[in-house]
Amino acid sequence: MHRVIAILENTFKESLRQKILLLLIIFAVLLIIISVFLEPFALGEAPKILRDFGLGATALFGVLTTIIIGSALVHKDIEKKTIYTVLSNPVKRGEVILGKFLGLSALVFLLVCAMLIMHQLVIFIYEGTFDLRMLISLPFTLIEVMVLLGILLLFSSFSSTTMTSIMGVIFFVVGHAMPDLKLFADQTQVPAIKTIAYGFYYILPNLENFNLRIDLAYGLPLYWDQLLFSILYGLIYVILLLYITKIIFEHREFK
Amino acid sequence: MQAAIELQNISRSFKNHFWQKKKQVLRDISLAITKGEVFGFLGPNGAGKTTTIKIITGLIKPDSGNVAIFGQAVTSMAAKKRLGFLPESPYFYEHLTGYEFLKLHALLHDLHDYKVRVDNLLTRVGLSGAQDLYLRKYSRGMLQRIGIAQALVGSPELLILDEPLTGLDPMGRKEIKDIILEEKNKGTTIFFSSHILPDAEAVCDRIGIIIEGEIKEVGQLSELLKKGTKTAEMTLEDWFVRQTEKSTVRK
Repeated sequence: MHRVIAILENTFKESLRQKILLLLIIFAVLLIIISVFLEPFALGEAPKILRDFGLGATALFGVLTTIIIGSALVHKDIEKKTIYTVLSNPVKRGEVILGKFLGLSALVFLLVCAMLIMHQLVIFIYEGTFDLRMLISLPFTLIEVMVLLGILLLFSSFSSTTMTSIMGVIFFVVGHAMPDLKLFADQTQVPAIKTIAYGFYYILPNLENFNLRIDLAYGLPLYWDQLLFSILYGLIYVILLLYITKIIFEHREFK
Repeated sequence: MQAAIELQNISRSFKNHFWQKKKQVLRDISLAITKGEVFGFLGPNGAGKTTTIKIITGLIKPDSGNVAIFGQAVTSMAAKKRLGFLPESPYFYEHLTGYEFLKLHALLHDLHDYKVRVDNLLTRVGLSGAQDLYLRKYSRGMLQRIGIAQALVGSPELLILDEPLTGLDPMGRKEIKDIILEEKNKGTTIFFSSHILPDAEAVCDRIGIIIEGEIKEVGQLSELLKKGTKTAEMTLEDWFVRQTEKSTVRK
């Protein structure tokens, strides 16, 4: 495990020191601050808009950071041959994948935490009180990011950085359209299309499971059994993705 | 006596794209490197030196044949613990400092008391003044030296260096050669590839010549030089050019 921690620490530092991260942070901070100025357009719904916009900005920031840094995480090491020296050490290839996954996940976790704290401060400035219920979104945003990172690592273990980022965006968009896909599968009358639509629905990650933005912003009730299911679903999905990536990476040759 | 590296009948071919014909890069090569020797693996560009090294370090697999380090599979943890490797034109994590980079490699070698080891290595390769500098700010020579330090961090019994002297100025080459000789005196087995022949002459016990994926000659430098000519003054460079020309004429 200590070798995984060494890779984790290295990935964390490398990712944290990338200039692009600073731009993403500025972008995220601006998004949260903008939410305060939406009040005149909110038609009495300002508190809800403030929450919805803040949680949305936090999730988008986590996803963008993951896609931009995560797409290059493994492929850059292969392209620039840094992987040669790492793998010549007594370290298993699966440990490298796990360390990289945990390193970037840890960084995104801290950044999302910072964003949520800032969101709380904005709510406090605006309303004179915190709304700690918003923090329930933290584990779900993190699991969504981990699922996306798992997909990115899987693709970057055998394809280019560009292809990996494109796949990351596609999976993000499709993953949030899963309820629509289910509706389509339920309603279509063509058996072959119905089978294919259900196939995609069950195989592709349903990222809407981790989206609590509307429920939290509009004060809707949360059901703990559903939340628990979402967490287990996400964790199992991540474990499967990492396992497949490990197998591909173990058989990969570095020509 | 068990060999430090043993390659038996290794062949390997590649194709760059699936529609292209496979190109044979290594043709049935066999080599045994004795413990404690400095072995120079020489050949022109594209001869198959780096491919051979990648097979020895487990980065790629041969199409056929066997390879072992100290009798163990090259991908085993036991073999990797005894190995230090510097790849050709190394490119390291540019956002890490020299110290952090060596610390990472020390931890991958299970060296939890890494501080003294890392400090000593930085001093040994002349980089203690640059230990807090990011690697992206290192010059080519500094990168090569931190690369050597990284290869030495686990106190390896076998050191594999792919073109360690390429791109260095005369002073840089001397420093790397001095480190190779120091390691040799400690009993470390060293396998290094190069096409800079005078440097190989200076440090090698034995050399092997690879041309177009085939091992043409293996032996002690003095024997090889005598074998090819009746003049005792022939240098390795003259000999090497002659061997390459012979191979081209035969084709």
